[in-house]
Amino acid sequence: MIDDKRLVWQFNRGSKEALQRLYEKYKDDLLGLAITLLRDRSLAEDVVHDVFVAFARTAGVFTLTGTLKGYLSTCVANCARDRNRLRSARHVGLDAAEALMTDSKDPVAQSVGSEEAQRLQDVLGYLPYEQQEIIVLHLHQEMRFRDIAEALGVSINTVQSRYRYGLEKLRSILNSTVTK
Amino acid sequence: MNSVENTENFVRRGKAKITTDPRMDRHVLDDAFAAMDKSSTLKRSRSNWTWHRSSTIRLAVAAMIIVAIGLLAIQWDPQKEVPSEMGPVAKSPADSLSVMSLNMAYRRGGIEAMDALAETAFDLPKSRSAKVSLRELLTESNGV
Repeated sequence: MIDDKRLVWQFNRGSKEALQRLYEKYKDDLLGLAITLLRDRSLAEDVVHDVFVAFARTAGVFTLTGTLKGYLSTCVANCARDRNRLRSARHVGLDAAEALMTDSKDPVAQSVGSEEAQRLQDVLGYLPYEQQEIIVLHLHQEMRFRDIAEALGVSINTVQSRYRYGLEKLRSILNSTVTK
Repeated sequence: MNSVENTENFVRRGKAKITTDPRMDRHVLDDAFAAMDKSSTLKRSRSNWTWHRSSTIRLAVAAMIIVAIGLLAIQWDPQKEVPSEMGPVAKSPADSLSVMSLNMAYRRGGIEAMDALAETAFDLPKSRSAKVSLRELLTESNGV
């Protein structure tokens, strides 16, 4: 956190090295988040690119209020939402999800890596995007509900209810896939 | 997988372990540096303009204050104070005493008392010895 503040201070004074260090620090995490939300590595890379370029434009005036990781994660989630809309909100059905599980040539499967990660990708596809992003921001990016609410511009009650409904739905999907 | 906690653990374990492509890193950093240069130049010129603008305003305000102080200093001159209207100069104590004495004598004893007082007054400037000082002469004539 202190390291981030120091790097942001240097970045605001035009240090490219500081920007590079910030990128190196968070790139993998943010790409993972974008892939989880978009299930498309190419789109996810575009999102991370756009977020960092937009961040670089704020040099000199950027003020860090919370954590930098939280800020960048929210930017990625917002950008991913826009990309998702542009992609005409493809909703993955159960059969398609099963196909994804078995298809080892799938680019998502290759990019995500572990089996558990792949399984999570599949089941998350059933949830509305609003629930997905909150679950991922809270459990993967370790952001507090209050921070998520602030970053997304919604009330904390909305965030908590979306999280609860999302998790319930996820649980029921997992149970149904186990019983099949 | 029945509890909410188990679901949360499942999601946590499913966090994707991703590493970025070196080509992507190069692409992102190049574009980010270019964006940073562009914005830094813009902000520097903006801040210069703001600095110049604010310093000009400060100078103008300072000049106005100096002019105002100068004008006040010119108008306010303690030595050129308007003299207050003076009444007629007071008469000498001897005159006042004489008038008062005559007035009091008239009230006390009428015209006779005034005559007596006048005789005493005319009697005063009689010849004196040369040793009598000026102060004694004045005291005698003024009564004080």
